[in-house]
Amino acid sequence: MTYKEKASWLMLVAMVLAYSLYFGLIITGHPAGKSLFAMLWLFGTIAATQAVVVIIGCIWLAIEARKLPRARIDERDRAIAARGTATFYYVLLTAMIVVGVVMPFTEPPIKIVNTALFGIVLAELVGLIVVVTSYRRGWHG
Amino acid sequence: MAKLPFTNDIRTLRFLAGEMTQGDLGDRVGVTRQTIAAIEQGKYSPSLEVAFRIAHVFGKPLEAVFQWGTGTN
Repeated sequence: MTYKEKASWLMLVAMVLAYSLYFGLIITGHPAGKSLFAMLWLFGTIAATQAVVVIIGCIWLAIEARKLPRARIDERDRAIAARGTATFYYVLLTAMIVVGVVMPFTEPPIKIVNTALFGIVLAELVGLIVVVTSYRRGWHG
Repeated sequence: MAKLPFTNDIRTLRFLAGEMTQGDLGDRVGVTRQTIAAIEQGKYSPSLEVAFRIAHVFGKPLEAVFQWGTGTN
């Protein structure tokens, strides 16, 4: 696996764990689903922890990759990243249309905010799944 | 995974070039060992530049390295 592939797996696993916890708590009635302050506190804690884990993991992967020769990013890495970004964009766009155009007429603000966060997480997850799948199964750009 | 409309003889050419490793070929072409492996396995279509670089390493014309599959459009 290249550095980019390992980093993509790390981000995917970290996102699944972190946001399964966050949205799991929301669904099971945590105050973050009703109060803006509780939501900011819970989301901030989980997002910051996930970010720290990913940053430390990526630094460690980069150090490990430097021990190996030929640890560079090449055209395949860039093509796969571009494919992931394009998929991310379409999912995010759809989610933001729902959140910004449809929900303001029917839903309370806290639900709109949490749905927007879910849309961002979902878009990132789909983008990362496209990336790791492209590495595993092939990519003919 | 979609099947590529072309095949390649990189594995054979590496063997004929004194068992050149995927990593060595990648170094000379400017890509990773994993990308050479993906090209050999038909999991990645290289850019025209990389395809020409690979052919240049082996001192062959492009069509001696990559062959368009018969019966494909």
